[in-house]
Amino acid sequence: MGLQSCTKLSPFSIFNLPTTLNRFSYRFHHHLRSPPPLLVRALSSSSTAAAPQPPTAAISDDTKVAQWKAAIDFKWIRDNKEAVAANIRTRNSNANLQLVLELYDNMLNLQKVRLQEVERLRAERNVVANKMKAKLEPSERQKLIEEGKNLKDVLVSLEEDLLKLTDELQQEAQCVPNMTHPDAPVGGEDCSTVRKVVGKPREFGFAIKDHVQLGKDLDIIDFDAASEVSGSKFYYLKNEAVLLEMGLVNWAVSEVMKSGFTPLTTPEIVRSSIVQKCGFQPRGSNTQVYSIVGSDQCLIGTAEIPVGGIHMDSILAEASLPLKYVAFSHCFRTEAGAAGTATRGLYRVHQFSKVEMFVLCRPEESDSFHEELISIEEDLFSSLGLHFKTLDMATEDLGAPAYRKFDVEAWMPGLGRYGEISSASNCTDYQSRRLGIRYRPGPSTPSKKGKGSSGVTQFVHTLNATACAVPRMLVCLLENYQQEDGTVVVPEPLRPFVGGLEVIDYKYR
Amino acid sequence: MGLQSCTKLSPFSIFNLPTTLNRFSYRFHHHLRSPPPLLVRALSSSSTAAAPQPPTAAISDDTKVAQWKAAIDFKWIRDNKEAVAANIRTRNSNANLQLVLELYDNMLNLQKEVERLRAERNVVANKMKAKLEPSERQKLIEEGKNLKDVLVSLEEDLLKLTDELQQEAQCVPNMTHPDAPVGGEDCSTVRKVVGKPREFGFAIKDHVQLGKDLDIIDFDAASEVSGSKFYYLKNEAVLLEMGLVNWAVSEVMKSGFTPLTTPEIVRSSIVQKCGFQPRGSNTQVYSIVGSDQCLIGTAEIPVGGIHMDSILAEASLPLKYVAFSHCFRTEAGAAGTATRGLYRVHQFSKVEMFVLCRPEESDSFHEELISIEEDLFSSLGLHFKTLDMATEDLGAPAYRKFDVEAWMPGLGRYGEISSASNCTDYQSRRLGIRYRPGPSTPSKKGKGSSGVTQFVHTLNATACAVPRMLVCLLENYQQEDGTVVVPEPLRPFVGGLEVIDYKYR
Repeated sequence: MGLQSCTKLSPFSIFNLPTTLNRFSYRFHHHLRSPPPLLVRALSSSSTAAAPQPPTAAISDDTKVAQWKAAIDFKWIRDNKEAVAANIRTRNSNANLQLVLELYDNMLNLQKVRLQEVERLRAERNVVANKMKAKLEPSERQKLIEEGKNLKDVLVSLEEDLLKLTDELQQEAQCVPNMTHPDAPVGGEDCSTVRKVVGKPREFGFAIKDHVQLGKDLDIIDFDAASEVSGSKFYYLKNEAVLLEMGLVNWAVSEVMKSGFTPLTTPEIVRSSIVQKCGFQPRGSNTQVYSIVGSDQCLIGTAEIPVGGIHMDSILAEASLPLKYVAFSHCFRTEAGAAGTATRGLYRVHQFSKVEMFVLCRPEESDSFHEELISIEEDLFSSLGLHFKTLDMATEDLGAPAYRKFDVEAWMPGLGRYGEISSASNCTDYQSRRLGIRYRPGPSTPSKKGKGSSGVTQFVHTLNATACAVPRMLVCLLENYQQEDGTVVVPEPLRPFVGGLEVIDYKYR
Repeated sequence: MGLQSCTKLSPFSIFNLPTTLNRFSYRFHHHLRSPPPLLVRALSSSSTAAAPQPPTAAISDDTKVAQWKAAIDFKWIRDNKEAVAANIRTRNSNANLQLVLELYDNMLNLQKEVERLRAERNVVANKMKAKLEPSERQKLIEEGKNLKDVLVSLEEDLLKLTDELQQEAQCVPNMTHPDAPVGGEDCSTVRKVVGKPREFGFAIKDHVQLGKDLDIIDFDAASEVSGSKFYYLKNEAVLLEMGLVNWAVSEVMKSGFTPLTTPEIVRSSIVQKCGFQPRGSNTQVYSIVGSDQCLIGTAEIPVGGIHMDSILAEASLPLKYVAFSHCFRTEAGAAGTATRGLYRVHQFSKVEMFVLCRPEESDSFHEELISIEEDLFSSLGLHFKTLDMATEDLGAPAYRKFDVEAWMPGLGRYGEISSASNCTDYQSRRLGIRYRPGPSTPSKKGKGSSGVTQFVHTLNATACAVPRMLVCLLENYQQEDGTVVVPEPLRPFVGGLEVIDYKYR
């Protein structure tokens, strides 16, 4: 993929419906452009998976890391090794910094040696070439030829060593997790702090049901048939639940579009290298990723992956940043290693619909976009009347790519606890160094797609955030909005998206 | 799965919006119940795949056919062997009827033999109850043991024979509707034509060019991320996809169909029972590493599986589902310009109709399904023709198949946008879906009714396959300035969007 400039969006021509039914108001914001300041290059590195339940397995030996290289800033790691080491500790990562530094040193030395040998070879070759011009005995000539050959062999062998060393260095360095935001709480999951609380648990005057019971009684979810057809943790949605799923997706996409996000649908089968570059492990023993027989392809666990891949190996014009996408896709997760009552019903399933936000921006803007993303999420969930808390996740709970992560946990009365309904991560340049997404800082003339601008290219920062994960939203809506008679009320903002449906009722009496 | 009765739907409580914006009018029709007439049991059998492009590979040796058994009516095959043979010929099937009949005969004989030996063993066992001389007893014991050994060996043979019979019989295709045209694809007849090709006064673009110019489809990025025949939809195309799905589901619901979303990963046995080949060399089916699971190529598969191994109450029929799912197809063996752009892709969204009904009603439901499809496509202003597919183009499960081909000006030809098949009892004999004919008292879920259970008939029909609809809409509704008009029925489902315009000038 070569140079890519990204198009600016203009408002869609639209027939204005009354606001309540105007599901898609397209007001695209023009993005403010500020001159490029001094860029702080954050460390990016890889580690074990970045999925919500990061497997603890290291990169398996099957993974041919030599296939692609992350543009890791080894010099920066070396110059900041205390900070990097401390970060590895607070994240409880199994990265081997010592080894990385050794391998890097060795590689630098080997590169120096190669340089010297190349020079020596050139000099020797000249000498030999000159000597061969003279009249020589056959045996003398033969000796010179062999000498020349030996020098070449030394060089070839050096190149091989250098290649192997580079691969080893990549493999080890990719395990090093992203640096951490200074404000992120340090420690295990109980150290995560609460940023915000919205609402409070509803007080029911009657014995409540969980969403599985409601789903059965209202004939809107079928787990049993799915268990026969597909296995556990699969489901059919029926009747109003289908309208709710489609309505939730429509509503989430249209709401997020109002903030200037470009809607997308994505492939759900991708090359496994893309999965790795985003920080996930397609082939670990406890992998979350389904693989396709007879190919290097996998099923995506989140639209973050195919969206991250759109601009891979590209140099974007600074004027085109930020790029803000809202992507709808189905997601597939093996949920290997997850078991127990916490996974009953829709809470943990193998396949689900999700609307995901993804932002590519300049480094100095990623903190503020992280705030924007969590703010959009909080508005979405508040508008549906959900009670939830936003958490600033502690270091041991950050996936390798995340510099900082905010999770939203909503109250699920049927389960009797809070359950994660969304996650917003700032991955800084971790993913972009692997996916190869750069931008060229320069004068912001829209017509110049990167030409005529000066400056070395920089890596963009990427962020991702869940706008709506349908099954968990269904859990929240069904359990929170149930009535004593067993029917369920549809929250107002969703009604225009489900044909005005107000109440989910019994199908027969 | 045990006895299952299916719930009747009552109208959803709903706040009435003005009709144009009332996207979901829930008027569920009460189904008329007629007394159970004489049931004609149609032949069902298996063959090679039922997918739109049926692979020619036979069932691979990997397939453990012994795992599940189709409830094939061997006796009917034998009693109607000329008709079955003629049917195999007109369909150009590679089923071996001769072998099926031989294996069946052998199986019957072997069964008789086994029964005879069992009877003898009982006689011996009874004799042993009497008072006997030790030498007599010893002789009887030996006789008994010999009988047992022979029996064990015969029973093994019977098992193997049953499996072989299954494997061969599953290749026999469904019988054919008497009105279906006989021959190859050029023999398919035109049932109906709606509209005519639009006359453009300017040089038109195909949907790939339109998709690029309007920045609504990206094939290049998808090619890097996933491979060929993948795509991203952007901007208005996303609204169109969601709108088309919403619209199709709500329109079909008006005819009393129950909406569903389905698993897209299923056990491979379900795929086979529906008549597809998960593991042939040219298979259309993606398989998952480390499991017996596959990705679905159509919602027909998971919907067919809902009622498998069940006996339904007659009162609950017909069951009418409209299912939305993503579909995945390898498209192995398909190449060339015919597959450019969105026409042939590995992943797409589809709204599928699926009906389970009593045998005597399947013909009329087939007419209802094609009628629903024709109404859908007409309302979008598309020009299309409905074809009655010829015998060589019927997949193994289809008794009769109607395809709709719509005019795609950018491609310069007609392209299939939908298919409606009556599979009679082909799938239900494999999936094990029966019903119990009886008095139609809603509260009695099958109890108290008399009569042997019968196999239901199943039908499936495409309400909307999104990528091909996008091809049709983009190419037919393009304007000279390169923008695209959104047909009226879709506008309420895309927030009132009327025209897809350029993103920058």
